[in-house]
Amino acid sequence: MFRKRNHRQIPELNTTSTADISFMLLIFFLVTSSMDTDKGLLRQMAPPPQEHEQPMDIQQDLVMRVTLDDHDQLTCNGKAVTLRELTDEVRALAAVSRQEHVVSILADRSTTYEAYFRMQEAVVKAYGSLRQQYALQHYGRDYARCTAEERSQINDYYPQRISEAPIEEGGRP
Amino acid sequence: MRPMRSLFRSRRPGGVPSLNMASMPDLIFTVLFFFMIVTHMRSDEVKVRLEVPRGSEVQKLAARQSVVNIYIGRKDGQWSVQLNGELVSPETIPARIEQLRAKMGPESAERLTVSLRADKQTPMGLVSDVKRALQKVYALRINYSATESKTDSYHE
Repeated sequence: MFRKRNHRQIPELNTTSTADISFMLLIFFLVTSSMDTDKGLLRQMAPPPQEHEQPMDIQQDLVMRVTLDDHDQLTCNGKAVTLRELTDEVRALAAVSRQEHVVSILADRSTTYEAYFRMQEAVVKAYGSLRQQYALQHYGRDYARCTAEERSQINDYYPQRISEAPIEEGGRP
Repeated sequence: MRPMRSLFRSRRPGGVPSLNMASMPDLIFTVLFFFMIVTHMRSDEVKVRLEVPRGSEVQKLAARQSVVNIYIGRKDGQWSVQLNGELVSPETIPARIEQLRAKMGPESAERLTVSLRADKQTPMGLVSDVKRALQKVYALRINYSATESKTDSYHE
């Protein structure tokens, strides 16, 4: 009597809807998650100024003064320039006096962030092209493909010397 | 003609055979797992309206667990600052960064990076206030967030 029952096959589970369930999960994940990776310009700020700090003596002719006024006009050492010209100027200065030059950035309080960002980008581009050139000459490959050690050597050879003055209320400090 | 037809009929007795769908769930599960791995959940709701600038020199930001997001944008016509999930004023940023740093592991606290997502039209005064607040708590690594544009067209 029991034997007879065991002989019967177990009825198969109906799995047709598993596909629908997993589809729903998939769509849920597609909606709630985002693929976009955060991209941007990575910068290192200077530590906050100490009270007992002595102002450094820098030769005035090695300082490049980059300013942005309230109409987003870019000037470099008092002369109006475009972003491309700024890149070339910074490149020329950094190539000659690598360790001594300073790029001093000053932006007005009402400058738009976009203008500031593009200015930063133009400056970074200048250093980027110098480093790329060095990497090609000395290691025979792109800067991006150098090892971390080689990269830090290149960075030491062409350091980014950018100083940002704090913005004072009402214009120029 | 007639005998031919009957011959075809006899060859196909049951119509179109049904496709075997047994592997369908497995397939979809594979796609699901792929998406679960490559994407990340949107962690915080952005309460301000903003459009980040476009740039060509941008690089990817790694180490997601040590990143603090600051959004600067318009909210009801006013410029406001949002840190991770909530609206803050620039003066309270140092204290909040300290809190976040305490929650992190020592390794990621050291590599703490602030991703600054500011609207194109933000006045630099506000951005500079935020930057000075970050400087105070030694959160010195900043990422000026931007969307990548391959073309150089805006460079005049």
